[in-house]
Amino acid sequence: MPVQYYIFLSIVLFCIGVMGVLMRRNAIIIFMCVELMLNAVNLLMVAFSKMWADAGRVDAAGAQIFVFFIMVVAAAEVAVGLAIIVMVYRKSQSVDINIMNRLKN
Amino acid sequence: MNELQLIPLLPFIILAMASVVTILLIAFRLSHTVIQVTGFLMMCLVVFATWYVRDTLPEEVPPLFIVDGQAALFTGVIIFCVLVIGLFSYIYFEEREENPKEYYILLFLATLGAAILTISQHFISLFIGLELLSVSLYALIAYLRNRNNAVEAGMKYLVLAALSSAFLLFGMALIYMEAGSMKFSGIAEKLPQVSSSPLFLMGLGTIVVAIGFKLALVPFHLWAADVYQGSPTPVTAFIATISKIGTFAVLLRFAQTIHLQQYPLIIAIFSVIAISSMIVGNILALRQQNLKRLLAYSSIAHFGYLLVAFLPGNEAGTEAAAFYLIAYSITLLSAFGVITLLSSREHEAETLDIYTGLIWRRPVVATILAISLFSLAGIPLTAGFLAKFFVLSAGVQQAVWLPLAVLILTSVIGLYYYLRVINTLFGTSGTADVMQKTVHPFFHVSTYITLVVLAGMLFWIGVFPGLVLQGIRLFLLLH
Repeated sequence: MPVQYYIFLSIVLFCIGVMGVLMRRNAIIIFMCVELMLNAVNLLMVAFSKMWADAGRVDAAGAQIFVFFIMVVAAAEVAVGLAIIVMVYRKSQSVDINIMNRLKN
Repeated sequence: MNELQLIPLLPFIILAMASVVTILLIAFRLSHTVIQVTGFLMMCLVVFATWYVRDTLPEEVPPLFIVDGQAALFTGVIIFCVLVIGLFSYIYFEEREENPKEYYILLFLATLGAAILTISQHFISLFIGLELLSVSLYALIAYLRNRNNAVEAGMKYLVLAALSSAFLLFGMALIYMEAGSMKFSGIAEKLPQVSSSPLFLMGLGTIVVAIGFKLALVPFHLWAADVYQGSPTPVTAFIATISKIGTFAVLLRFAQTIHLQQYPLIIAIFSVIAISSMIVGNILALRQQNLKRLLAYSSIAHFGYLLVAFLPGNEAGTEAAAFYLIAYSITLLSAFGVITLLSSREHEAETLDIYTGLIWRRPVVATILAISLFSLAGIPLTAGFLAKFFVLSAGVQQAVWLPLAVLILTSVIGLYYYLRVINTLFGTSGTADVMQKTVHPFFHVSTYITLVVLAGMLFWIGVFPGLVLQGIRLFLLLH
């Protein structure tokens, strides 16, 4: 398959993620959208790794290793992020981010 | 890769061990004081290790790292900052939280992330370093979960940092597609063929978004004031100094390796960001009544100034940027140290009312705050003045006139709000001071001494910059 398909799909997924982060008000949905963006990047990385391997580059597997790093970091981020969301919920019985407006001058 | 190549990484290995040692100390239920002292000694060990490996520099550890003089310089500044911040943390957390020990694990991990950024020359190490820094920072910001809206600040930083790292990755993927390499030098080789491709430029643009977010540059600055205000004061000092030094170091290395400054489009984008940061930061700070928020907006403006040193992309610019970062971090550390000292168990000392007439009640502390504000404003005889002067002279060499003009004009605006705070310090005292009894005299005294030394350094660097400049040049030659 030509690599353009992957690029197109990834950009669409990434944009859906950005839209979700900007427009949704539920902290957990926002977090899911960030994950969607990271996975769009993973898809892109794997596609490009294949593309460069086909073009004869020997170090193209590096991009696939990068994907594993991204997965691990995303898991770490979710672990800390969900802990913070739980604290938000305990404090205000809601995960709506509109209530977070108390920090101002 | 052989074992000889591991030797230049020794300081970073010790830094990573510091957090493991801290975990073990907590497992053996040792006291806060023991952990604090051990952490201090570990950081001193990192400094000694850097000194020990100096002869092996510069050394490349392919493909991820390069340890050269520039990296050693920025790592040195980072370690210096974490030593001071660790000291401030003791009195701050001892008063507030029953269990402040895990704080040090996160502090050392975040420092490791920033240190890795200074030596990275590959997208993987850049990403790992940046995430090590940000994930530790999420927890650090929300550490005092029951007070001061810390959770709200943590949540804001979490969402925006996660968003920006997704942008960073997307940019990396696009650049990898065009260049076929994730190593900075590999990208530099392919650059002449791909520099006009739209996907490559888009990738570069999204990376600029992520870096701009980390450095709190306009228009990605919206988190800064809230996070500065909501997080514990030592953590605010950490975000303002270490996290930004690390990010700026990696931006500098990326730009140097791929010769970013030879593209007029990139120069234009960075000029716009620098100019808007200087203007917006200074204007938003004008009406602030909260010292932490004021420092947040002033740091936005200061990184705008720093970008002016980054724009020329020459040797003088790098030197000026390194000098600026050193002067700026000493200044901010002394300002946040004063806030830490004045904060009581119930209240952060952040509203300006608390500072009314401080000079009559606690003359030493007030003088230190006044000196650091003078340095931020760039008054002669302080380090901040010379830092700005070197930035200006680096900019004049390459004739970037518009950002320079904005720098000078906005510095004058900046003078207004720094002097307003100093004016408050000298006002007539309304509130009688409730002198609290100090819980830990030894750490209080050492914090006092550190603050006095920092203020002294501001004067010393401001009057005799020769030694510091010589040191910076010596380090930068090792590449």
